[in-house]
Amino acid sequence: MKISPDQPAENPFSFRECFLMPMPIGKKAINLRELLQAVRELDESVLYYHIFQSRLAITQPGEEYPNEFARWAATALQDIKLAEKLSSFDPFEYENMAQVRQAVIDILEEYLWDIPFIPWARSGFEFHFCEASTVVMRSQIRAHTLLEFCESLRKVGLDSIYYHFFEARWRLGVLKADDFSFWIETNFGLPELVAAIRDIDIYFYSLREIRDTLLGLIHQHLGELCDRTQ
Amino acid sequence: MIGLNDYAPIVGQEVIDQLQRLAACLGPRRFVHINSTRTGGGVAEILERAVPLLEQLGLDVKWEVIQGDQEFFEITKAMHNALQGYKVDLSPAMLDHYREINRENARKFTWESDFVLVHDPQPAYLINFLRPQAKHWIWRCHIDASRPDRGVWKFLQEIVSQYEASVFSMSQFAQNLPHPQYLIRPSIDPLSEKNRDLSTVEVQEVLDRLGIERDKPIILQVSRFDSFKDPVGVIQAFRMVRRHTPCKLVLAGGEAIDDPEGPRIFAEVMEAAKNEPDIQILLLPPDAHHEVNALQRASDIIVQKSTREGFGLTVTEAMWKGKAVIGGAVGGIVLQLRDYNTGFLVHSPEGCAFRIRYLLHRPEMARRMGKMAQEFVRHHFLITRKIRDYLTLMILRENPTERIMEL
Repeated sequence: MKISPDQPAENPFSFRECFLMPMPIGKKAINLRELLQAVRELDESVLYYHIFQSRLAITQPGEEYPNEFARWAATALQDIKLAEKLSSFDPFEYENMAQVRQAVIDILEEYLWDIPFIPWARSGFEFHFCEASTVVMRSQIRAHTLLEFCESLRKVGLDSIYYHFFEARWRLGVLKADDFSFWIETNFGLPELVAAIRDIDIYFYSLREIRDTLLGLIHQHLGELCDRTQ
Repeated sequence: MIGLNDYAPIVGQEVIDQLQRLAACLGPRRFVHINSTRTGGGVAEILERAVPLLEQLGLDVKWEVIQGDQEFFEITKAMHNALQGYKVDLSPAMLDHYREINRENARKFTWESDFVLVHDPQPAYLINFLRPQAKHWIWRCHIDASRPDRGVWKFLQEIVSQYEASVFSMSQFAQNLPHPQYLIRPSIDPLSEKNRDLSTVEVQEVLDRLGIERDKPIILQVSRFDSFKDPVGVIQAFRMVRRHTPCKLVLAGGEAIDDPEGPRIFAEVMEAAKNEPDIQILLLPPDAHHEVNALQRASDIIVQKSTREGFGLTVTEAMWKGKAVIGGAVGGIVLQLRDYNTGFLVHSPEGCAFRIRYLLHRPEMARRMGKMAQEFVRHHFLITRKIRDYLTLMILRENPTERIMEL
């Protein structure tokens, strides 16, 4: 379906900004058994921080592991096999944090079951648990058309990308949906583009890569339109 | 005076706009900072830059400094050391003196405020006298309190528990406290004398003045001559490198005057560097920010081979200058450096030597890692992020029951 780049949306897209304040809870794990125990007992907000929010709080450029448990396994326990298992788990396959928690517990329990020793973190690399409080603010950046949407995507901070892609999945209650594709779908249709956006493997990408991928997809589907924003 | 907009070319206009929107949402709040010194030390350095920026964002900011006699500062220095893990005995008379000096200072403070941020233990006891003068009292601990002395912490814990929240620099410093604890990571100011861009002429002028020739690659460590910074370990590493690769080592820093071990460590460093013309030891005054900046910019590889470290802002400074950094795998250095990415973590003089050689032979990789390191600092460790954290913290504290605060 062809649409005009200047066709106004019924509802403009209002970007949100998202500010995270990490809150250390004063608990730590020094070996894998302690990590498992903590994953069983700690609040869901703690798991949520280490699985999702930490990528907004602090991320090394070119971070290869998608969550802090996997990264800890690789860098602190120096157990690449466990890091591989924890990296391959996709939290978006589950409906709620209780299921996500159980999935992590299953990985850790099964791993500990099979090895004759408890992997310990090297000194200085203990796992310190956090949760976070978030301030969400309506940005002044709004998109009334797809043309403006392309321009805005380049302007907004990575916190906005996080909010509309990660937080949105839990907020909307549809784990494959995000605010961007939802807005395009409800205002312009464009089922192919919507499906392509929902197929982005977001858990593996950094926020910057997600933005680039998103822009790439829009470019691919609406080449001429997107070129005008370059 | 440096204005908020001067940071736009560094962090991006969107970051400045974001700060302005956040401040507008918060509204014109009164914000008092209290610490124990106007000049010298990391906290004063941060406040000197942060206070005017917060004012430019429309907040009514006051920076108060408590006064005390020598005995008071000896007691609080002991408290500081105790938080860092030294065994310290404070007598009841000393604790009384600590309380009394706080009481005397409290009499001078007549302001009323929305927020008070009390930095470190020195002025912490003020809350006992001034609580009705502000709505929100927050304690900010800049110290590595991961393994504090039990007795001193018990004393401080009782005081700090009266605050509605506390802020630590690293998650491992958080304590068992009956209120919310937040994380605000340290930051550097890219426009300060220690970090601003320098021209090649300015850099060369400093090197000429300090008598450093650029005839070989320069390895640098900037730190106090303190055993935890392991300067002797750096010299050992350098000697291992020198067997294979020509380079020179510059150790720059001040003597740790408040450390009784200082002179002994300095003597050990001089002894270890004896008969080695390619090692230069520079004793710099504490305010030699321009010189440190130039040395960091002139270096090929920067080392911070600490065996114990709070956060390690010298690592942040070096990363900001786009240098490949090799750091000891301790404290906040672990958070900042990632092997093959933003630097290298090492555990021994051998490891340090290995990574120096690795990078000297791969200058292109060193450049790439330096660039990544600079971007990492730009997003996470500049003063604009700290200002954003302060504003966010205030919004959250005004809405303490909300985990997600939608404005």
